[in-house]
Amino acid sequence: MERTDLMELKKAIDLGFRLFSRKYGDAIESFFDPLLFFLVRLEKLLLATPWPIIILVVAILAWLGSRSWKLVAGSAVAFMLIGYFGMWEDTMATVAIITVCTILCIAVGIPIGVLMSKSDRTEKTILPILDMMQTIPSFVYLVPILMLLGIGKVPGLIAVCIYALPPVVRLTNLGIREVDKETLEACDSYGATPFQKLTTVQIPLSLPTIFAGVNQTIMMALAMVVIASMIGVKGLGVPILRAISNQYLALGLMNGLAIVALAIIFDRITQQYGKRMQKHRGIQQK
Amino acid sequence: MKYLKIFPPSLAIILIGLSSVFFSAQANAECGKVVIASQNWASAELMAEVDKVILENGYGCEVELIPGSTMPTFTSMDEKGAPDMNPEQWANAVYTPLIKAVDEGRLVIANKAPIGGLGEGWWITPGTIELHPEIKGMTAVEILEHPEWFPDKEDPSKGAFHGCPAGWGCQLVNANLFRAFDMEKKGWVLVDPGSAAGLDGSIAKAAESGNPWLGYYWNPTSIVGKYDLQPVPWGVDFIGRDHWDNCIVKPEQECADPKPSAWTHSEVNSIITAEFAERGGSDIVSYIGARTYPGTVMNGMLVWMGDNQAGGSDAAIEFLNNHEDVWSTWVSSSVVDKIKSAL
Repeated sequence: MERTDLMELKKAIDLGFRLFSRKYGDAIESFFDPLLFFLVRLEKLLLATPWPIIILVVAILAWLGSRSWKLVAGSAVAFMLIGYFGMWEDTMATVAIITVCTILCIAVGIPIGVLMSKSDRTEKTILPILDMMQTIPSFVYLVPILMLLGIGKVPGLIAVCIYALPPVVRLTNLGIREVDKETLEACDSYGATPFQKLTTVQIPLSLPTIFAGVNQTIMMALAMVVIASMIGVKGLGVPILRAISNQYLALGLMNGLAIVALAIIFDRITQQYGKRMQKHRGIQQK
Repeated sequence: MKYLKIFPPSLAIILIGLSSVFFSAQANAECGKVVIASQNWASAELMAEVDKVILENGYGCEVELIPGSTMPTFTSMDEKGAPDMNPEQWANAVYTPLIKAVDEGRLVIANKAPIGGLGEGWWITPGTIELHPEIKGMTAVEILEHPEWFPDKEDPSKGAFHGCPAGWGCQLVNANLFRAFDMEKKGWVLVDPGSAAGLDGSIAKAAESGNPWLGYYWNPTSIVGKYDLQPVPWGVDFIGRDHWDNCIVKPEQECADPKPSAWTHSEVNSIITAEFAERGGSDIVSYIGARTYPGTVMNGMLVWMGDNQAGGSDAAIEFLNNHEDVWSTWVSSSVVDKIKSAL
């Protein structure tokens, strides 16, 4: 391509997007307002709640998920250490965005996964999109997100979700496709409608796999915390960015370890929960 | 035998080459070879390239540009006497060593302000003025009484003030000024944009959609030019170097009681080595001294560079072609003619 043509093309793309965001930016922004409202509320709630209650809630969740005293004690101690080292507020902000992101990804991802499992053609169209979402460098889509939504929580959340959504979609698809053919035959012979088949047989049987997807989504969302902080999301990423640009070793290490602690706690709880589901249903883990 | 056959023509070529070097050296006797630092940001690149064109065509120098950056370039000029010139030296970064080098006769400040309208500070988008015309001419102190003009996205009852990304020096300054002006009590929140891209993005978003925006930025930059950001006058005086250096620029725990202050004066110089000042002669030194880019012209050039994704050399030609009124005052009329004929 000629140099001038190439430049014209780049300029045209930039201009086109700018016009688009000028025209629809506000509409798109107000579309996401409920999400922002929810996110702000959740963060305020987490911050306003006294820390012993939060730790208690975490411990209860850990118990419900894993039924393991070790994990309960470990989570409580980790959160206490986070508070002791003065990272409580940032951690709560991070927990809030991870929670909302996970809920959003589940709400969007599971239906897409179900659709994909129903038709090979849908699967073939969606798979490359998922590949792209996972591999495209996040800095590339930060620019259009910034132009459309500015800085703050919602654009950060979207950036995180773009990266964290694929696992739950993939594993939902996989889980439903792997449901035993004979079980499905039995359903059909009893005259179950497709909807009944999906909600009472396919989804319940594939729940452990779906849960593995949710687990991966949470892990990937946590990995994106620092990137999200680059567009104005409060949380553990902010001190890490500060540490990078000032070479503060201790600050970076402490906040990095706090993210690791969160990741391990979330990971163990969800994984144990997934395993227990499998045990309960009498399915051997492969 | 083969060598002998080849020898005469190659000798001739060498002789021709030598003589051309000799003759051009004769022609350039007054200037010679000049090494200019081309630092790695747009305005510095542009200035280096413009200097190259003007010195080569107007004064018969032979100019070489070498890449540079604030600290390495300064250190090299101070210690080694090379490169010969740095067109855009940010002086605050090298305050003490620069004074020392000038006192000891190693470096010469050839131009104390090569770019007009320069500095860091607080800016508003034009959309702000459209929505609240009364803001025109208001000082920062007065604007801070109206947080409701700049509603924060996440808590619309508060006003959003956009500070610097975490880790920048100005982040501490803005945080301290935020406390000094008692902004929290007045109903403001200090927004951390997270990164340079975040800060630029928040301005682009607000300016594109005509929304109000108040925050930190600096000039000369293409952002200021492109979105026509308006500087906010402070309404207070600069508090003085002592308080600024010992409190305002320090982390919060080392600055218990910050006082309201205007932003410190940013100084950019064109510096040359003493050796080049002598070798180049008074004509060249007076050219460098006269060479001041008005702020609006510089911003316009930076916008043009951004829009066309152009480098310094293209931008220098663009500048010389379109802003003759500016650069023709820097040099004598005979030099103007020489440069124009070369373009």
